[in-house]
Amino acid sequence: MEVSACADCGHLFLPPGPCCPRCWSRRLAARAVSGNGRVWSFATYRRTYHPAMPAPYVVALVELDEGPRLISNVVGCAPEDVAIDMPVRVRFEEVGEFTLPRFEPLSGGGRS
Amino acid sequence: MSRRAVIAGVGHTAFGKFPDRTAWDLEAEAAAAAVADAGLRPADVDGLLTDPGAVQGILDGITPHFLRLGAQLGLDPTYTGSEILGGAGSVAIVERAALAVEAGLCEACLCVYGDSALSGADAYGYGRGDEAAFGFFGAAGLHALAARRHMHRYGTRPEHLGEVAVAARAYAARVPHAQKRGALGMDEYLASDPIVEPLRRLDCCLVSDGAAAVVVTTAERAAGSRRPAIPILGHAQAHSLSTYASPDHFDALPASRSGPEAFGRAGVAPADVDVALLYDCFTIVVLLQLEDYGFCEKGEAGPFVEGGRIGPGGSLPVNTSGGLLAEGYGGGMLHVIEAVRQLRGDAGDRQVADAEVALVSGHGLGMNTHATLVLGV
Ligand SMILES: [Zn+2]
Repeated sequence: MEVSACADCGHLFLPPGPCCPRCWSRRLAARAVSGNGRVWSFATYRRTYHPAMPAPYVVALVELDEGPRLISNVVGCAPEDVAIDMPVRVRFEEVGEFTLPRFEPLSGGGRS
Repeated sequence: MSRRAVIAGVGHTAFGKFPDRTAWDLEAEAAAAAVADAGLRPADVDGLLTDPGAVQGILDGITPHFLRLGAQLGLDPTYTGSEILGGAGSVAIVERAALAVEAGLCEACLCVYGDSALSGADAYGYGRGDEAAFGFFGAAGLHALAARRHMHRYGTRPEHLGEVAVAARAYAARVPHAQKRGALGMDEYLASDPIVEPLRRLDCCLVSDGAAAVVVTTAERAAGSRRPAIPILGHAQAHSLSTYASPDHFDALPASRSGPEAFGRAGVAPADVDVALLYDCFTIVVLLQLEDYGFCEKGEAGPFVEGGRIGPGGSLPVNTSGGLLAEGYGGGMLHVIEAVRQLRGDAGDRQVADAEVALVSGHGLGMNTHATLVLGV
């Protein structure tokens, strides 16, 4: 998994943009991160808004270990088992022509 | 000596489902009512600010809203514009009208909100860019993240959210034009369908067709008002655009910045507020604002609202017209109008005794935008 990194101030951020949102430098590069993070908060959709996303499903704000946050899904466990601060790991899923970074529970307790 | 802006006239349409009427038609009705209430003629209006709502503003926003409405109303103002600030838009345009009047840019600024969101399908089913790919649809999802976080961090319970919904309906039962007038009990609230947990159906505001307008002018110009003009004592905006990167996004609203600014300009404190008209797209936003405006400590809004404290007869009357949860979705302009009615002593059997200071807030675009007014007599 990659995030945007500022070559001037070192800030790591998502989503990618035209400049560093902290110092406005335009010297940016992609930086590989662990793909590990934790659930900062989550919402359990009990109503289907779009046929491609049948309820129930979990939308979470995930905070990566390296700092940036992103909206994603928690998959690989029941919605009832998702909790705030739960360690998760990225899992890339092919959805049509897109590859989506979703997250699954990080079992084994290891947050390296 | 600086000029003091006042709200001299208010007006609105009915709120509900009117498939045979356009938003333009509704807006014209509200505008005429507000200008007449201010004791002015259409030719006196030299400022026009609009909040086009979701359907016209976000979905049909090719021709600027103020341009088309201004043409329909036959106006050639010295100051104009439209604001796309989501739920903060209506309070924000009144805030800007106050600035413009205080600066002498115009003398009588008409501020109009209108929308046909109930008849205009799918207005609220939007997704935000790439996030829609994760099924992150609608404003409910964002506010569910905030509610879950508040519950986790502070022990806030469903019953605390329910207090907001129950109070809104108790007030709306006293409002003849309210869209939802039936009483609501806590048991019924708790039994309502989950939509995006932890939010239930009854945590979510109404969707409405309707329009509302106010006229901001100077105290001198308002001398001909049919009803008392209400001074705008303080006003401010604050926004949180960096969203998820902010450590406290979802924990605190920009109200924590615009509130002190508006209170400071007005020379009042939260303890001086007699009636609070707080933007209530979802129940959790009312709890967050009680904290971020300083009515209670951070994390204490749940216990604060227990026992009907914000409902009829409570120590801090909140959203005395039922708000977005029960009166109708007025983009926040109905909150401004209710504040004026309370301060005029014009609120019927929901009148707050001796109301002298009112707080009005607008909140929008998924917790990004915020505007504050302090009105007082
Ligand atoms: Zn930088």
